[in-house]
Amino acid sequence: MSPKAVKGGVALSFLIVLFSISIPISAQDSNSSLSGAITGAAGAAVPNAKVAVKNLATGQSTETQTDSAGRYNVPNLMPGDYELAVSAEGYSTNTVKVTVAPGAGKTADVTLAGVLSLQDLGISSGQAQGTAADQARLDKRSHMLKLHQRFGLIAAVPMIASVATSFGAGGRSTSTADRWTHLALGSATGDLYFMSAYFAIRAPRIPGTQSRGPIRVHKALAWIHGPGMILTPILGAIAFDQKSKGEKVHGIASAHGAVAIVTAAAYAASIVSVSFKF
Amino acid sequence: MNKKFILAILLLTFPRLVAADSQWILEESTLTYHVSHPLKQTEGVSHAAKGKGVCHAGQCDFLIAVPVKSFDSGDSNRDLHMLQVVRGGQFPLITVRTHLPEDASSLATIQADLEVQFAGQTMQYKLIAFQHVTKGSDTLITGTIPLTLSDFKIDPPTLLALPVKNDVPVRVEMKWRPM
Repeated sequence: MSPKAVKGGVALSFLIVLFSISIPISAQDSNSSLSGAITGAAGAAVPNAKVAVKNLATGQSTETQTDSAGRYNVPNLMPGDYELAVSAEGYSTNTVKVTVAPGAGKTADVTLAGVLSLQDLGISSGQAQGTAADQARLDKRSHMLKLHQRFGLIAAVPMIASVATSFGAGGRSTSTADRWTHLALGSATGDLYFMSAYFAIRAPRIPGTQSRGPIRVHKALAWIHGPGMILTPILGAIAFDQKSKGEKVHGIASAHGAVAIVTAAAYAASIVSVSFKF
Repeated sequence: MNKKFILAILLLTFPRLVAADSQWILEESTLTYHVSHPLKQTEGVSHAAKGKGVCHAGQCDFLIAVPVKSFDSGDSNRDLHMLQVVRGGQFPLITVRTHLPEDASSLATIQADLEVQFAGQTMQYKLIAFQHVTKGSDTLITGTIPLTLSDFKIDPPTLLALPVKNDVPVRVEMKWRPM
């Protein structure tokens, strides 16, 4: 055999060996796949959607279409990072990034949004989105009004007791203990009342809103029980002083009882106005 | 040349020979939510919804949006509390999307799958029945969406320490007109 023939045979053998090694390696590299379902916003399958799969490393692109069930399958992919772009008539295009592992099948379901947007309805992005600051203001308002409600309801308890003990405090034959009990209950009522009023007055206002409905009655009644809760203890202090000196309650102090009753009645009406529907 | 001329004349004379897109606009709406509490029942009503529908190749997409603060229960204090509870300061809109076949307009009852976005959450409602009546060129759609507070991760508000019920059905009455 000539040297040329020997060299040719060696080269050919080398190529055969090289080729037989390379085949299984490339087959291993491209047996990954990407599949999934394409659906619309309401969950319906999107048939005939165009699915473009682009290898981000090589730039190579493969296209397919979804079947009647909205499913797609792209076999024989090299492992790596891909960009999956899905488009269909009547839908806006959606693009997602996926990573395909070697020798594995990757599932990527994509949802397509309808072509309509809020701008199509004449709603600007400013109108469509609120702010955390607006929500925080609402949260603070609700929190303070809840405290207003709780202190207000609690204040009703010593107020009722104070009215009940008033008969023993102001009559002809009353004891010091009765008067002190009435005074203590009245003081507790006043403390709780003004704490409740603080939270109502200081609760943040929400711009662009107007009072409507029973809350207007609730706020209007405050103009009766508010001044009443200031006047009642003043008149009560004068009456207490007169009784302590052994005198009969007289003069302006004699209005203490009437003012207190009107105040308590307005307060009760205020609670009822926002508790029940009329 | 003659064939092209004849085709153009046919297309101009009979536009329905080619697939035509159609659009719908929401002309009027009444959305009413119902809240149940042991002491009282409350309803809030909004007439401020905006909506549009686009039909293409036999399929229609609808989008409806309504501002949360447009609901009026007759008590501004209650409405503001509602706005706070449903996170309306941050998510001021309720949006509803649905996809229907165009031939649904011939049915007396339409079963629709709805995607509702509310209070920062998205919820799917399947096969919601809507009654459909055609009056002249207007299409009247009525139905009830079985919304619940827990669907949207909303803490039920309380009155005198008693919480409201989780179910807050929303009655929908809409008048659609083709554009």
